[in-house]
Amino acid sequence: MAGAFVLDKAPILSRLGGDEDIFTMMVDMFLQDLDNNCAALSAALASGDAAVLRREAHTIKGLLATFSDDAGAAEASEVEQLAKQGVLSAEGVAGLLQRLREVASVLNAG
Amino acid sequence: MHKVLIIDDSDINLTLIKALVLKLGDCSPTLFDNPLAALEWCRGNDPDLVIVDYMMPDMDGLKFISAFRALHGRNEIPVLMITANDQKDVRYDALLGGANDFLTKPIDRVEFSARARNMLSLRTGQKFLADRAEHLTALVEERTAEIREREKELIFRISRAAEFRDPETGAHIQRMAHYSQIIALGLDLSIAQQKLILESAPMHDVGKIGIPDYILLKPGKLTPEEFEVMKGHSKIGHELLKDSRSEIMKAGAEVAISHHEKYDGSGYPYGLKGHQIPLFGRIVAVADVFDALTSERPYKRAWSLDDACKFLEDGRGKHFDPMCVEAFLAGWEHVLDIRQRFRDEEAPQI
Repeated sequence: MAGAFVLDKAPILSRLGGDEDIFTMMVDMFLQDLDNNCAALSAALASGDAAVLRREAHTIKGLLATFSDDAGAAEASEVEQLAKQGVLSAEGVAGLLQRLREVASVLNAG
Repeated sequence: MHKVLIIDDSDINLTLIKALVLKLGDCSPTLFDNPLAALEWCRGNDPDLVIVDYMMPDMDGLKFISAFRALHGRNEIPVLMITANDQKDVRYDALLGGANDFLTKPIDRVEFSARARNMLSLRTGQKFLADRAEHLTALVEERTAEIREREKELIFRISRAAEFRDPETGAHIQRMAHYSQIIALGLDLSIAQQKLILESAPMHDVGKIGIPDYILLKPGKLTPEEFEVMKGHSKIGHELLKDSRSEIMKAGAEVAISHHEKYDGSGYPYGLKGHQIPLFGRIVAVADVFDALTSERPYKRAWSLDDACKFLEDGRGKHFDPMCVEAFLAGWEHVLDIRQRFRDEEAPQI
């Protein structure tokens, strides 16, 4: 289990060329898409289709990386890699769902 | 304005990339979250840059790129593929599969701008070269057409030079050239061949330049010796025009040497028979004789059309190639048009 998510705005903003507007827009979208993303991830696990889970985990990995959550992205990458080998990690998915909500609450507060 | 196509199944990425593309300036982004829909759009639209995510449902980035490249004319359009930075093998596959460069996730604006700008300047260069090539092609065509026009004019003037010393007129040359074209049409020759005979037939008598005035301009009948000299105009014309690099001149040389041959072998200079006589020579023989008969000359009155036609028909297989006579008579309405268009008293059209 990764350590607590800490929002480090500086590297994110630097990647966005210091553009606060884009940052705000992305935070809004992350929060908006949160429920959909969580539902898609759960559904992928429930479907038992490793290819679908692999893709959803990949999407989550990109999403978390966007907010410089390296630890969360690493967890997502693990789920993705396991799925690639045909293994559906229920534990991993549960961890990711929790991580997404945690990041959301920090972004909301931030 | 650069058209930038962005394909990513994640809305947040689409929004981010769109924002970054707009920051580049002079770009209009088009967004798709579905690669199949994007491909459909590409059938009718030419993007200047394609930015495509690797991992997508329905169709991954690699498959998209190969499908995109397979569309006509989309071979060179720059494609940037977005991959996670741990996907080195995918990046190799993408390079081999037609991507021009990569963007790694999470997307960094500095890197994004630099790579996107590179791709767009590549595109600008491609378009510039394509425009230039098109422009040069048009220029070459224009100049070639000018040269061809000049060539045609020169040929007409060469033919006129011979006429100045000859009672035959510019109108005669126009008529017999057009009659020759009518026969070529009737024989089902190609449009190019019809054009070639129209343009080369005027040179049939250019060798008359080399015939002395006392023979060429003699009002009465030529003695057998004088007629022998007169016959030399075929070879002189051929001598003047042969070995040219110009197709028209080459055809003119052939017409000059063969237009007095007769189908039964009784013509000159070589007494060739039937299909030994070049086709253009057989055609021009009919056209030239018909016009000579139906024109007034200082030493004779013009024959009636009926009499001239009868002469052609009687000459089938003897003087003339029967196929050529038939083709000429089959185009009779055109023949009458040509007679109206090019009359002796009018100044010849150059």
